[in-house]
Amino acid sequence: MMAADPSVFVIGLGVSYKNGADGTTAGLKAKYPDRIFDVPVSEAGFTGMAVGAAISGLRPVIHHGRIEFALLASDSIFTQAAKWNYMFGGDNPVPAVFRIAIGRAWGNGPQHTLSTYSMFGNVPGLKVVIPSTPYMAKGLLVSALRDRSPVVFLETRYSYGMKQHVPEELYAEPLDKAKVFRTGKSVTVVAYGDGFVGALQACELLNASGNGTDVADIDLIDLVSINPVDHETITRSVQKTGHLLCIDTTIDSFSVGSEIIAKVAQNGAIRLKKAPVSLACPNVACPTSTALTEGYYPTKVDIANAILALQGKPAIKYDLSFDDFHTHAAFVIQG
Amino acid sequence: MSTSLLDAYKKMQLIRITEQEIANFYLANKVMSFVHFYVGQEAVATGVCAALASGDKVMGNHRSHGHYLAKGGDLKRMVCELLGKAHGSSKGKGGSMHMIDKSVNFVGSTPILGSVVPLACGAAFEQKYNKKNDLTVSFVGDGASEEGVVYETINLAALFKLPYLIVVENNLYSVNSKIKDRRSEGYNVEKIVTGLGAQYMKADGNDLEDVLAKATAAVAKIRAGGGPMVLECITYRHMAHSAPLFDDAQGYREEDPLEKRLERDPIKRLKQTLLTAGTSEEQLAKIEKETRDTVLAAIAFAKDAPFPAKETLYTDVYAK
Repeated sequence: MMAADPSVFVIGLGVSYKNGADGTTAGLKAKYPDRIFDVPVSEAGFTGMAVGAAISGLRPVIHHGRIEFALLASDSIFTQAAKWNYMFGGDNPVPAVFRIAIGRAWGNGPQHTLSTYSMFGNVPGLKVVIPSTPYMAKGLLVSALRDRSPVVFLETRYSYGMKQHVPEELYAEPLDKAKVFRTGKSVTVVAYGDGFVGALQACELLNASGNGTDVADIDLIDLVSINPVDHETITRSVQKTGHLLCIDTTIDSFSVGSEIIAKVAQNGAIRLKKAPVSLACPNVACPTSTALTEGYYPTKVDIANAILALQGKPAIKYDLSFDDFHTHAAFVIQG
Repeated sequence: MSTSLLDAYKKMQLIRITEQEIANFYLANKVMSFVHFYVGQEAVATGVCAALASGDKVMGNHRSHGHYLAKGGDLKRMVCELLGKAHGSSKGKGGSMHMIDKSVNFVGSTPILGSVVPLACGAAFEQKYNKKNDLTVSFVGDGASEEGVVYETINLAALFKLPYLIVVENNLYSVNSKIKDRRSEGYNVEKIVTGLGAQYMKADGNDLEDVLAKATAAVAKIRAGGGPMVLECITYRHMAHSAPLFDDAQGYREEDPLEKRLERDPIKRLKQTLLTAGTSEEQLAKIEKETRDTVLAAIAFAKDAPFPAKETLYTDVYAK
């Protein structure tokens, strides 16, 4: 996209060196020396400046290595960029892309693992996506860099280790549509980001368990966007399956799943066969000790057993290893 | 100098009379829309904007009627916006605190105080990125200039050597909070600004000629590639922070009682200069009358203009 559009530039702490931005901008400074900007540790200042540049017609890609640092720039994101077009009566595009790393990361503790997804769904004017797979990360980024509205890209750091074949050429995935990743008939599973990785791992577990549940039973939906939420796709699926499981990697209160289940509950055309299930983190900050974080995020076993319970099937037993609990998801998606 | 003193006088009268008549209209019609008047500070916006070229950009804050009009913003669309009409510059969605007229490069105002400083810095960033010869100006108050993002931005603008002028209108109060209650004894704006690597100038914000001279010098330096500057203008806000009223009864003003504010009134001062230079009383009275007629016509137009259609509540959330 930088080759195709000279108005695209990258700005953020550490984006000009090799292992900065979790390595996602490696090599760019050598290729585009005048378009990659390392900055002072002034999150509010440089984010506001980049938003101002977007208002002036450039296309900044603004990087924040942790959500907590992006919140220092919340005025620029929530109050300025999000409202600019609306409050000036239209014709005032803000083509900014905010790449914000968010959520679970081994040993990062209470102030480096905040997972306030819902907050971004609560601000009109932002388009907010969470790429769940490498393929979606590229397709969504291409769309974001062609859009005229501010796009927040919430990147779950836990998923950075995933591997998947991604086409060389440019392709675009829509920013506002959930993606049905696997089609099944008896349970709808809605997930995003690292929770989506958990869902994929749960599918593998179920396939291997030999208890009669396989991927043919599961309608697995990659939520993709939390602003707006694609309720239509979810509704179509739940009308078919009658069972709904939402997976969150944020706390239970005001979770993304809560929003989805609320809308399903309000829809008289949907008849659920069982009460919908929401898996989320407990209502506490994520601690640091591995002994405590083992109980924090929904695991692939939790997800698999929730799917089985919705189908009225007995739970499986599986002993999770240290790596299962704590290491980045080095998951390989085939095909 | 890119403008005559008489042109500046006309502009200052336009800003003053517009706000006077808006205040009258608000009080007579019980208009309950947030409004921050610029009365008393007209020399700052007028002097700075007179020093700019048409391609230069300006951004403002919650108190930006004057900045907007000084840059040449459309009067009718501004008044319509204040009254929440469809013809308003933001189609009624912004109101008084969200002035914009991109046709004259007044590219927006935003009332979260210091937040406009990095945004306007971004406009200057774009001007340098695309190798333009233009610059950007932001107007903020003394209160806003105490926000951390302002200091962050001065460093950023200096680091990237951006064509950027920050005008700080120091009217002594943040709402009703006095400078002495907000700043340590050793607080020194010039040292802060120059310590961050930008240049600093100070002007008498109640004196159009001083503002114009300093702004002209600042603009020349910035356009020559000298990097960002801060121009601090000391002035008085004649009216309340956010109401179409005088607020002396509240008793918070110590340094600037009404008599002092009126004595140093920038319009009165420029009028005296013009009279001394040979402009006639009649000519100035004629300007005042014509300006008032124009303003009253704009208010009458806005009063009768249609409100936005109800369904526009839902439009323009995203850019098309």
